[in-house]
Amino acid sequence: MHRGSRALLHGVVSLVLAFLVLPTLVVLPASLNHASFIQIPPSALSARWYREFFADPEWLASLGSSLRVAVLATSLSLVLGTSAALGLERLHGAWRAVLSGLFLAPLVVPAIVLAVALYYVARPLGLAGTTVGLALGHTLMCLPYVVVNVGVSLQALDPSLQRAAGGLGAGPWRVFRTVTLPSIAPGLAGGAVFAAITSFDELIVSIFLAGVRTQTLPVKLWETIRVEFTPVVAVAASVVVVISLLGFLSLRLGSRRTSSALTEPHAVT
Amino acid sequence: MPSLSFRALSKQFGSTTVLHPTTLAVTAGEFLTLLGPSGSGKTTLLSLAAGHLAPTSGRILIGTRDVTELPPRLRNIGMVFQDYALFPHLSVFENVAYGLRARHCRRADIARRVRAVLATVQLEGYDQRAIPQLSGGQRQRVALARALVIEPDVLLLDEPLGALDRQLRRQVQLEIRRLHRKFGHTTVFVTHDQEEALVLSDRIAIMRAGQIEQIGTAESLYEGPINTFVAGFLGDSNLIEGTVRAVAQDGAELAVPGLDAPLRGIAGPGVIIGEHAALLVRPEHVRLDEALAPGLPATVEEVVYLGDVAAIKSRLSSGGEIWCRRPARLGRPLLERVAIGWAAGDGRILALPPHTKGTSP
Repeated sequence: MHRGSRALLHGVVSLVLAFLVLPTLVVLPASLNHASFIQIPPSALSARWYREFFADPEWLASLGSSLRVAVLATSLSLVLGTSAALGLERLHGAWRAVLSGLFLAPLVVPAIVLAVALYYVARPLGLAGTTVGLALGHTLMCLPYVVVNVGVSLQALDPSLQRAAGGLGAGPWRVFRTVTLPSIAPGLAGGAVFAAITSFDELIVSIFLAGVRTQTLPVKLWETIRVEFTPVVAVAASVVVVISLLGFLSLRLGSRRTSSALTEPHAVT
Repeated sequence: MPSLSFRALSKQFGSTTVLHPTTLAVTAGEFLTLLGPSGSGKTTLLSLAAGHLAPTSGRILIGTRDVTELPPRLRNIGMVFQDYALFPHLSVFENVAYGLRARHCRRADIARRVRAVLATVQLEGYDQRAIPQLSGGQRQRVALARALVIEPDVLLLDEPLGALDRQLRRQVQLEIRRLHRKFGHTTVFVTHDQEEALVLSDRIAIMRAGQIEQIGTAESLYEGPINTFVAGFLGDSNLIEGTVRAVAQDGAELAVPGLDAPLRGIAGPGVIIGEHAALLVRPEHVRLDEALAPGLPATVEEVVYLGDVAAIKSRLSSGGEIWCRRPARLGRPLLERVAIGWAAGDGRILALPPHTKGTSP
């Protein structure tokens, strides 16, 4: 490639990356500003608004609520999604197409439709405004990520491994625990991270389902920013970004470790 | 060591029959090879024995125990898979110990038995190795050890040498033979490689189109094939096609288009006057004489030097080709024109296999 066209390529790629990343990263310097209004670039650096955020029981409660809901929704969608992926793997033909379409539907159905529908279901059941209700709603949103990730891992799993284990005298549960589970671990990890992040920054369903006591961090952010433009909002946004980033980083590091330990199975994340 | 029997065992997928009702007894301690091209039903038969497939009809017995309805884990069968199917996340030790742990053996017993079996397959000191670090031949031996350590009633081997290179394959063949002599497991071995079948087997079952075509010792199959398929699948063969003119008690006559005189040979089963058949003569039985000697006139087309022997291709006046194998030190034939001959007992007139009857291959 000519030097000129290579430079052009680098330029375009850098611009695209900047377009993708900068608007998100802007909240980090904004959160470190000393002034009482959001200002970029910051005039003076200070952790003032972080102290404010972590001293405010309302913000902390919403962070706690978000984490609780994320843990619940992730656990639930891991169990349900893995079961679904295992079941789908054994189906063939039309049933498989129909059911996997159904499991992936939450990715396609507009979140607002899902939110309204969930609200109508949750209210008469007394689940609206509860942590359980929120977690169930989020589980629905998280499920496709687990089904897809685990499904890809299962497809890479050599079926003769399970046969070999069965032939050696292992019952179905032992085969699952000792052969299937270790082989799909990268898929489970990937599904878990995607599910956790999906739940952690979910807004629309949460607006409908969260109550005063169960307000999640994105909901609190949304409601705060409508009434006042305080730098605490930038801090809250930074917390969301950093936690999401940590999730992705742990996945990357984890998958590098498993793929060096197991060079043979094709770990997919 | 119990025997393994199939009684009228069959398998259909929808309207496709992959195994016609097959009855076969593998006697206690016998090494039986299922030999056939892909799609002949040999792997189906093995999968039925292992319990990976359920038969459409028929029974499977290990000794006197009917295992037809049993799941694989209760059959007590040792199996070596084509791709080994070793657990990639477990060490060599844990792979071999897997079946013992599933049987809830005591820890001390497990350690002792795993060490012992690793020693028999010459993998001492490899306990803690990870599977991806092993060579193909070593993986093969771990797979064998894993199948042997559970003291199975029956050992099933599904093309276990397919992934190895030629030299290693020789070595592992001899290894499998040694282990079979040592432990005497009733063994079913699936392959499409005739050399493996010849080296290893007590008996060979030649399969085609979902059934056993012929079963017997390597020698009986080589010397007395019942049809041209068996003749072609085990050993090299010259087959000259024609129409049966006469069948007598001890022999038959075959009219071959383009040849003046009919060919004579010992008649195989199912050779009927007026039907298509073929004369089989093995290349090592073909004689090349100077043109004036009695025999079929032919023209030498190719001489292939193979070290110990030379393979010589000649063309008959009928247009068919015929291969001769003879000691290489006899050198090339001096003249292009030769006469082809063979001893009276070395020609055999064989029926074509059932479905190809009447069509020329």
